[in-house]
Amino acid sequence: MNDQPQARSPAHDLAHLDRRSFLKTGVGGTLLLGTASVAAGLGGCATAPAGSQDDVGARTGAGYQFRFLTRDDIQLFEALLPAMIGPALTEEPRARRVAMTSTIERIDAGIYKFGPANQRELRRLFDLLNFGVTRVTAARVWSSWPNVTTAEADAFLERWRTSGIGLFNNGYIALTKISNVAFYGHQDHWHLSGYPGPPQWAVDALPHIKNA
Amino acid sequence: MSLTDRIARGLEAGWNVTDGATLVKNQTHEADVVVVGTGAGGGTTAEILAKSGLSVILVEEGRLYYRKDFKMDELTSYANLYQEGMSRVTRDGAIAILQGRCVGGSTTVNWTSSFRTPEQTLTYWSRQFGLDHLTPDAMAPWFDGREERHSMAPWHMDPNVNNDILRQGCEKLGYQWQIIPRNVKGCWNLGYCGVGCPTNAKQGALMTTVPGALDHQARLFHGLRADRLVMNQDRIDHLQASAMNADSVTPSGVTVTLKARHFVVAASAIGSPGLLLRSDVPDPHDRVGKRSFLHPVNATMAQMPEKVDPFYGAPQSIYSDEFNFKHGVDGPAGFKLEVPPLHPALSAGVIPGHGRPQIDAMADLTRTQSVIALVRDGFHPESPGGTVSLRDDGSPVLDYPISDYLWKGLRQAYLTMAEIQFAAGAKRVRPVHLDSDWYSSWADAKAAIETIAMAPHRTRLFTAHQMGGCGMGAKPQESVVNGFGEHHHVSNLSVHDASIFPTSIGANPQLSVYALAARNSTRLAGKLAG
Repeated sequence: MNDQPQARSPAHDLAHLDRRSFLKTGVGGTLLLGTASVAAGLGGCATAPAGSQDDVGARTGAGYQFRFLTRDDIQLFEALLPAMIGPALTEEPRARRVAMTSTIERIDAGIYKFGPANQRELRRLFDLLNFGVTRVTAARVWSSWPNVTTAEADAFLERWRTSGIGLFNNGYIALTKISNVAFYGHQDHWHLSGYPGPPQWAVDALPHIKNA
Repeated sequence: MSLTDRIARGLEAGWNVTDGATLVKNQTHEADVVVVGTGAGGGTTAEILAKSGLSVILVEEGRLYYRKDFKMDELTSYANLYQEGMSRVTRDGAIAILQGRCVGGSTTVNWTSSFRTPEQTLTYWSRQFGLDHLTPDAMAPWFDGREERHSMAPWHMDPNVNNDILRQGCEKLGYQWQIIPRNVKGCWNLGYCGVGCPTNAKQGALMTTVPGALDHQARLFHGLRADRLVMNQDRIDHLQASAMNADSVTPSGVTVTLKARHFVVAASAIGSPGLLLRSDVPDPHDRVGKRSFLHPVNATMAQMPEKVDPFYGAPQSIYSDEFNFKHGVDGPAGFKLEVPPLHPALSAGVIPGHGRPQIDAMADLTRTQSVIALVRDGFHPESPGGTVSLRDDGSPVLDYPISDYLWKGLRQAYLTMAEIQFAAGAKRVRPVHLDSDWYSSWADAKAAIETIAMAPHRTRLFTAHQMGGCGMGAKPQESVVNGFGEHHHVSNLSVHDASIFPTSIGANPQLSVYALAARNSTRLAGKLAG
């Protein structure tokens, strides 16, 4: 990379140089993520899609069947979304909860359509974040996600955004992109961007949309 | 209403169209030619061959979506019409790949820009790759023909504000700009080309060549994934394919065997090398998947004092080639300047950020303008492109390292785009980059861009143009197919898509694909009839 400032290696990244250089190689990153996935399975993390299990169903509203996100993944997003989109949401608890849960459902639906290859990539990322040892070492998040405050979630996102390690930047992009698209892209939140939706005159003139 | 729709009418009239998801038992079919892919290359090929009287089977991994499905809705369209539900990226994740996956391929979701292959590019191919027959003069009739077939003409309405700002900035700075030719007929100027045209105005493969082929008894299988071309001695005997479930994500387990005299692969610059690699088609010089190009794209965002409404109106109508060939065809990396449409989901996915800064960036969308630079890759020793290889599951993935040569071009592009936006009156400009802030003057932006880290992931990169990987050339040591798309080593195999380009194009590639496919299919039809 030409002209990459050497100064951008914040002390709050990973403390140990040897680990840094290990992670900087794609191979090292893949190994670490792979290890997290295996360990997550052995360690009893939820590795099956959450489906519509009762405890999840109670939080996420009736009817939606999760096809990719596990219960742990859902808790991860419940911890991260307040830092990503929280300030855009109403303070009213019920409406806030509905906006959060419907966003998580759309994240799940979107990832399902990503197909097997990118689902595997995201599985590695989510396992890395959900498995205790790697959550602490790679994300430097000390509490389990249900106990993470919005400020801590924001600090984590900021660490991965500003990190000098490409793998973490990539993780940041993956987490924020799927969340931002699922949130701002939905009709319920178009008002946040001032997007009025498709022109009404065109909708009225197109029976396949108007009568849908 | 259904009778006025080209596809609905054809289906009612008895077109031979099969949805792979409906198949319940393994089966075998046979035709003169099997064409893999229904995009710019496959559609053109199928129509020309079918019209010449040959029996044709078209194979499409994506599904058949048409006007009834195109409701100007981003989330549904990105999930259904794009490769990997719009999540496709290069191997390290650094470049987001926008690519269609449906009947009509990327022409169903592109922004309709229709450029001839630049003369400099054709001349370079002739010089570097021995493609003497592809001179601008020799290609002119094929461009003429395809421009007519797809109703391509310079956009006749006023550009939307988003595009006009590019025009104004260029005008102020003395940079050249021009009006983009578009492939539309009776366009309503809505702005939803990228999510499937809701009015059938777009004259992509879906409204032209695919119906043309089906009218001439071609058979279309959609929701059918081409797994493997199976050789018998030195010829391809059949294509092995897997039916996909209706979700288009998982195969159903039903397999389809397609036998033919000739096979045309037009599965895109990622899909075609993938299919050839999976098939172990002879590749003695290890050329399949090599020299893959992307027109790497970077972008800047501007906050304008006036309303832009960048989600409405023809998405691309103004371009500038001021910097495309400025330093020669093979000098420092040149770039074409264009404008992207900005709908909320696309914008939220492109602008990197979270929390308050992201909320603020999205809140100003109605006054946001964006310029993109398409870097012309593949014309310089330090721009050798990327490599398509197979993942463990057999799916193709593109590894695309970005050289210092390209970083230099991308940095120059950031500078140029910011300068243009300020010249057009922008209040603030922000490169789409993880480290970038908003800058409120050209001087501030210039100083920041000159030192900003040009690095994977931090510099947000995109591509809508995948090219190469089955490059054409006179020498088998350096290429996969000859100048007619004919495979160097397998006599009944041709490649008719953007994968045969030996470099990038230096312009949006659909017309280059249409024209070469038309030329090569006309020759193929003659050979197979003889």
